[in-house]
Amino acid sequence: MSRRLLGLALVFPALAVIASLFILPLIMSAVGAFQVEGAFGWGNFIKTFDLYTKDILFTVVIIVLSTVLIGIASIAIGGYLTLGEHPVAVAILRWLYRWPMFIPFIVVGQILRTFLAKNGMMNNTFVSLGLMTPLDAQSFLDWRGIVIAFVWKQTPFVALLVAGAMASINRDTIEAARNLGASKLRVLLEIVVPQVAVTLTVGLILSFVTMMSVLSVPLMINAQSPTMLTADIAFRVNSYGDYGVANALGLISLVLASSVAWIYLRISLKERA
Amino acid sequence: MERNGFLSLSGVASRYGSTQVLTDIDLSIAKGEFVALLGSSGCGKTTLLRVLAGFISPSAGEVRVRHRDVTHLPPDKRGMALVFQSYALWPHMTVAQNIGYGLKLKGVPRAEIAARVAAMQSLLGLDGLEARKPAALSGGQRQRVALGRALAIDPEILLLDEPLSNLDARIRLSVRHELRALQKRLGITAIHVTHDREEAMVMADRIVILDKGRIAQAGTPEDVYNRPASAFVAAFMGAENVLSLAGTPSGDEFAIEAGPVNAAGSVPLAGRPLAAGTVEARFRPEATRLFSTDEVALIGSGITFRGEVAAVSYPGGHWRHVVRLGETEIMADAERAFEPGSRVGVHVPADALFLFNSSAPQPASSISRATSGKVHA
Repeated sequence: MSRRLLGLALVFPALAVIASLFILPLIMSAVGAFQVEGAFGWGNFIKTFDLYTKDILFTVVIIVLSTVLIGIASIAIGGYLTLGEHPVAVAILRWLYRWPMFIPFIVVGQILRTFLAKNGMMNNTFVSLGLMTPLDAQSFLDWRGIVIAFVWKQTPFVALLVAGAMASINRDTIEAARNLGASKLRVLLEIVVPQVAVTLTVGLILSFVTMMSVLSVPLMINAQSPTMLTADIAFRVNSYGDYGVANALGLISLVLASSVAWIYLRISLKERA
Repeated sequence: MERNGFLSLSGVASRYGSTQVLTDIDLSIAKGEFVALLGSSGCGKTTLLRVLAGFISPSAGEVRVRHRDVTHLPPDKRGMALVFQSYALWPHMTVAQNIGYGLKLKGVPRAEIAARVAAMQSLLGLDGLEARKPAALSGGQRQRVALGRALAIDPEILLLDEPLSNLDARIRLSVRHELRALQKRLGITAIHVTHDREEAMVMADRIVILDKGRIAQAGTPEDVYNRPASAFVAAFMGAENVLSLAGTPSGDEFAIEAGPVNAAGSVPLAGRPLAAGTVEARFRPEATRLFSTDEVALIGSGITFRGEVAAVSYPGGHWRHVVRLGETEIMADAERAFEPGSRVGVHVPADALFLFNSSAPQPASSISRATSGKVHA
């Protein structure tokens, strides 16, 4: 009996930290989303959908698009690292592709601001190469900038997971397909990717959830409407002290993130079955 | 008939970094022949198979199929299909998809693929398993799926990379015969890599023994077993007893001088190019005849050693003796057991005594020592 008490005593500090710093604030926020001036009601959600339906769609479209592009890019990188036959090119790519992982989102935002602006480095380069005139230059600092920032920052992370998984599959399965006449692309898409599908999905889901929570990139690159939910939450809290709507927006973000987490759970259950 | 050089290798060499893996491989394989590439690990047999398959470009020499140079053709343009040691089945595909993938790549219509896959399944005894994934198959079934996948594309040449080594010992024995029967029925040319001497003997028309990247001997199973071309081959084919003798050729005979452990004797030369001097003598434990020294031995052509039994064991079928001959120990089998400590004569008939002019210390002797060590344990 005393051993059991001792066990509980040992777990208590960790439990207390989780309960007071994570679970309690989460419940309070969730409850707060349904409170308007002390009374329960749907007021915050009605206001949220009135003001921010466009932003919710904007967020979903940007993150889904980014996730798809990250998936394609990381398959391409992992595939080249696994199937590439030019050792020098493979070594260079292996060394190069991880760098963005170590750069914080805020710095990514800063870099891309100077790079993608109307008179930024990208357009200046095109103009000086004579590929376009200064009049045709347009700013990419809108939804496209956010997508570029997300893909640039998150691809290395997913590519790292995917390349690791690809490196650990039985190489004979690749050679067996080559032996039967499969092209590199078919080997990648029909033999390699299916064998790393679970790792790829997990990487993309983790990336999806990370992108849902990034505030600095939309603030730096897309300081206009529509914008992403994180920017809206910050705006609601900082400018209006309106925690009710902020909580409602937070809950919507949570539901969006949970939807992909649910896919992940289903996959892992299916794997075990 | 393309008896001569349906598949031929000439001067093939391969290096891995600064290591020479294969040197000067010349080999001609007839259509429908079953050839076993036999050797210990690291001898280059798998490298040779991968050169044939097109996964490795040889650093010299060429590979020809029907007199067509295929040395630098990609793997799928050579009419060869490879069965991997690990089977390399695709875990995300069903049995039917695995077998049919090669046909799908060739753009064969779906209905025809289904028919060919079904035919392949019934040929290999895989009926009813088409919807299973490889993870739900037994080792023997996986091996047959791997074989079916290779055979489905109707290759002219089947390359087998130790396909039986992952099977249970009992299944392996029956699969040997099934595989050989299938190869005969289909009339396909097969090249089978193995490190298992017995497997090579029972399956192959011809055995090619590789040693350190060179062909040590190529011949029928009877040839390499009874007329080994070198001490290495003799040791590899089970003649693990090794002794040093001295002798001189005289006429058709090779006269062996009496030594500390052996009486004088002579054996027919039978075309062997033996020079006078020290020779390395090798023989199998099962080729010997043991008798006690006080018996009157009826001795034919061959040589007789005298020694003392050091140990005896019963591995089944016969008694195996470790006999001490002076400094060395040999193994000898007999129908009945001789007590340890008893003085015995060991007779080796002429046709079972392999003699080689010993030059530098042979690598073969290390094999002999390792094997006899195992028996002591």
